[in-house]
Amino acid sequence: MGDVWRSAHWVYRALFLAIAFLLLFLRLLPLGQSAGAFPGPDLLLCLIMAWVVRRPDYLPLSMIVLVMLMEDLLLMRPPGLWTALVVLATEFLRSRVALTRELNFLVEWVLVSALMLGILLAYRVIFAAAFLPQPAFGFAVVQVLWSILVYPVVVGLSAMVLDLRKPATGEVDSFGRRL
Amino acid sequence: MAKTRIGQEEFARPLRRLVVGLVVLFLLALFLLWRIDSPRVERFRAALVDAVVPNMEWASLPVTQATAMIDDFQSYTRIYEQNQELKRELQQMKAWKEAALQLEQKNARLLDLNKVRLDPKFTYVTGVVLADSGSPFRQSVLLNVGARDGIRDGWATMDGIGLVGRISGVGDQTARVILLTDSNSRIPVTVQPSGQKALLSGDNSPLPPLEFIEDADEVRPGDRVVTSGDGGVFPAGLLVGQVALGTDKRLRVVMAADYQRLEFLRVLRSHDLAPITDPGSLVAPPVAVAPPDTSTDAAESAAAAPPTATEGGNVEAAGSGTAEGAATVVVGTDG
Repeated sequence: MGDVWRSAHWVYRALFLAIAFLLLFLRLLPLGQSAGAFPGPDLLLCLIMAWVVRRPDYLPLSMIVLVMLMEDLLLMRPPGLWTALVVLATEFLRSRVALTRELNFLVEWVLVSALMLGILLAYRVIFAAAFLPQPAFGFAVVQVLWSILVYPVVVGLSAMVLDLRKPATGEVDSFGRRL
Repeated sequence: MAKTRIGQEEFARPLRRLVVGLVVLFLLALFLLWRIDSPRVERFRAALVDAVVPNMEWASLPVTQATAMIDDFQSYTRIYEQNQELKRELQQMKAWKEAALQLEQKNARLLDLNKVRLDPKFTYVTGVVLADSGSPFRQSVLLNVGARDGIRDGWATMDGIGLVGRISGVGDQTARVILLTDSNSRIPVTVQPSGQKALLSGDNSPLPPLEFIEDADEVRPGDRVVTSGDGGVFPAGLLVGQVALGTDKRLRVVMAADYQRLEFLRVLRSHDLAPITDPGSLVAPPVAVAPPDTSTDAAESAAAAPPTATEGGNVEAAGSGTAEGAATVVVGTDG
C-alpha cells in the first residue's frame, strides 16, 4: 500500500513534466501565429494553479521553477520575472491549502482568477518600471480572460482523466500521515 | 503521530519560507541581470534554444506536415472558385509579364549605359523555419542555420519576394529572425516613387505603420516600400511591401512577404561587420562622413562606400535581443 502511494507521487510528477513539455512543444510549432491575432489561454498556468490547489505535494517548488524558467527562456520572455511571479502565486495558494480545501469550486475559481489578474498586473507594472516595451493592455488581458475561462476545463480534465482530486478527509499519505 | 507532524511543520515552515524567498530573489536577480547586461543572457538563451529546439524536429515535422495537409484538404472544397480565380489572375499576369519583359530590357540597357556594377556580395544562405516564438506578443521565427553556416547578427532575411526580418541571436545551429511585425523592429525605408524616407516600426499588428515620413502628402496607398539602406543596417533596395491606409488613418505597410507561411527563408550575406574591439567605448560615425545620398537608386546605394564603424555598432545593438536603446551608443560586449 505504502509503495503504491509513493510511486503515485512520482507518476504524477512525471506526468506534469510531460504535459508541460508537450504544451511548450505545441506552442513552438511553426504553425504561423500571425501578428495581431488574439492570444489564446495560458494552459500551463491553469494547470499549475489547478494542481497546486488540489495536491500541492505533487508540484514541488523546484519543478515549477524548472518548467517556468524553461518556458521563459524558450518563448523569448525576459527570463526570471514571470517565473518569480508564478512562484509567488503558487506559494500563496500552497500556504492556504487548509483553506482552499474547504472552498467549493466557484470560490476557488474566483480566487484563482484574482491571482491570475494580479500576477498580470504585477508583471506589467514591473515591465513599466524597467522601461520595457509591452503589448497593449487589452491585448494582454484577453489572454488572462481566456485562461480564466479555460480553468474549469483544465480542472475537469485533471479530475476525470488523471483522477486528480482534493484529498478526502482521513486520507493518509505514504508515511501514514494524515493529509 | 499527529503531534510529531505538527512539530515538523513548525520547524519546516520558516525554513520553507526562506527557501522560497531565496528562489524568488534569485529569479528577480536574473531578470535584473538580463535588463542590465542583456547580450550575455541572450547568448545563453540562444545556446539553450540551440540545444533544445533542433532536437524537437523529429516530433515537430510530422505535426506540421499533418496540419499543412489538413489545410490543403480544406482548400479542395473550394477548388472550383479557386480555379476561376486563378484563370482571371492568369489573364492579368500575362499583361504584366509583357510589361515586365519590356521593362527588363529597358533596365538592362540603362544599367549598361550607366556602367553600374551591382554588389557582388549579395549571396544568400537559405534556411528552414524550425519553430516560431510561441508567444502572441513576440513575432520571431527560428531558422535551422546558424554560426556554423556563417550567419551573423543583423543580416537581412527574405522569403522569395520580400523582406521578412533581421537576424537577432545566433546559436551554433540555429538563428532567430525578428520579424518586421515585432514591436522591437525598426527599419529605415524609402517609399517609391516619391522617394520619401520613413521608418517602418513594428507594433505587433499585421500591418506595421510608417513613422517619421518627411512629407506624408506625397505618399499614397499603393506606393512601393523598399529598404533605404540608411545607417547600414540593411542593404538598400530590398522590397518590403506596399503602402496602405489603416483604419486608424495611419499609413501602414502591407508586407510583400507571405507571413502566413514562412517556410524557407534566405539570409542575405550582406556586408562585412566591423567588430567592436574596444569594449565600453562609444561607437560614433567616422570623422569624414559622406553627405547622405538622397537619390533612391538602389544600385547606386548598393555600390556605396565600404562598411563603417556605425554599421558594426548598429548591428551589435540589433543583436542585443529585445531590449534596444539608442542604436548609436553601444556599450561594447566582449564579442
